[in-house]
Amino acid sequence: MNETFYDVMRRQGITRRSFLKFCSLTAASLGLAPSFAPKIAHAMETKPRIPVLWLHGLECTCCSESFIRSGHPLAKDVILSMLSLDYDDTIMAAAGHNAEAIVDEIVEKYKGNYILAVEGNAPLAEDGMYCIIGGKPFVEQLKYAAESCKAIISWGSCASWGCVQAAKPNPTQATPTHKIPGLADKPIIKVPGCPPIAEVMTAVVAYLLTFDKLPTLDKQGRPQMFYSQRIHDKCYRRPHFDAGQFVEHWDDEAARQGHCLYKMGCKGPTTYNACSTVRWNEGLSFPIQSGHGCIGCSEDGFWDKGSFYERLTDINQFGIEANADAVGGTAAAVVGLGVAAHAGLTALNRSKKADDKQPGAQQ
Amino acid sequence: MLWRESGQIRLALETAFNDILDARMGGLPIANTALSVQAIGFNRFNEDWLGVLLTPWCMNLLLLPGSDSTWCGQASGTSIERSFPYGTFEFTLGSETLLGMYAQCSLFSPMFQFADQAAALAAAQAALQGLLATPEPRGISRRDLLRGTIGKH
Repeated sequence: MNETFYDVMRRQGITRRSFLKFCSLTAASLGLAPSFAPKIAHAMETKPRIPVLWLHGLECTCCSESFIRSGHPLAKDVILSMLSLDYDDTIMAAAGHNAEAIVDEIVEKYKGNYILAVEGNAPLAEDGMYCIIGGKPFVEQLKYAAESCKAIISWGSCASWGCVQAAKPNPTQATPTHKIPGLADKPIIKVPGCPPIAEVMTAVVAYLLTFDKLPTLDKQGRPQMFYSQRIHDKCYRRPHFDAGQFVEHWDDEAARQGHCLYKMGCKGPTTYNACSTVRWNEGLSFPIQSGHGCIGCSEDGFWDKGSFYERLTDINQFGIEANADAVGGTAAAVVGLGVAAHAGLTALNRSKKADDKQPGAQQ
Repeated sequence: MLWRESGQIRLALETAFNDILDARMGGLPIANTALSVQAIGFNRFNEDWLGVLLTPWCMNLLLLPGSDSTWCGQASGTSIERSFPYGTFEFTLGSETLLGMYAQCSLFSPMFQFADQAAALAAAQAALQGLLATPEPRGISRRDLLRGTIGKH
């Protein structure tokens, strides 16, 4: 019989008490009610563990660096023991041909039953020669591993959108996962960010492994539970925005007082991510809290949208207080009197605390 | 600031935010010119005054402190949670010279989706009514019954 997640954890020396605590934490980070913790525990005790094959293309490894520094040490240990990270060139023990053989082994042994995590993207120019893994273009390894996987996670902005290596003029034709021609038609979960927030990464993996299904995704393929609100919506400096209290220069009194950075180019109003709620480094801070505007690193093509310090002026870029689906890059429909009440209630529901909502309810 | 009744609050809010509109929002592409500043509600809810503030650039649930409110001494930017019949909401503290401390929870920003003031007002009223209305009960389980947790969500 195959090992369960729980077996693996116990073998790694994780106590049952820690395991149950992890289940509660996971439920909380997924925005589920505490009553979901026993369900997570049950799933992990009974389901065979699913291997995760973690490939690296053109990238800087910031996604891996973020992931292994997940704020809660328990979450990190548990997730790392859950994942069969036999092949992750940042942290695997094997090297050379032995390492490459692991990819074949997982593909053969777990055909159709492993998760493919992709960090970075594949350059397609010159037949893929700008990224060679084990003597072959990365794009070939990616296609080969995708052929037999169950689902794909595109880690970070590189795999999700292309990021800096795909910025104009993109000489290597760096291409995000979902745009690779000829890639097997598998579900793709995009977890953008440069890097993504560690707790978001571990929660996405935990969700996939425990519930054995994809989290609810928005139209752009991002998990709704973490990417349905803008930085702006939950920014602790938001009252300053609404009261017109703006920083005008980096060294003015408003900057010292921690006023809104909109005029200094903050991209919070157009960026969908959980930085202002989950924050970084064990919830310690996030860019705006340290005095710099959001650069919108989790948005498609953020390198090509002008200076990080240029004020947002394209009002069509502004979202309404809706999830990304409703904005979709175009101006939102104008609401007349007839449907205004509905819009008000929808906004109310969206502003309600996540763990107060019904699981699976529309965000 | 000592708040005594809803009329006084609405007037103070409208004055303060009209000043903000004139003095600080000029030239910024974030205001819907079809809309104007309006404060809605601001009756007592527990120890606070609760209402909706509608401006050409945002719509927020707003709490102003009553004499027994415990959050006035906290720093701007701090989050507090408040429970209503509709559910629990997180408010962020802010302050303005004419108003003192207040707590806000964002509903809309910006406001370009509203065709006119009537539409924005209807949305604000619906949100305020919805917040105070008790939602339909969930399916009641035997477990909830035995734990005595019915009606606590």
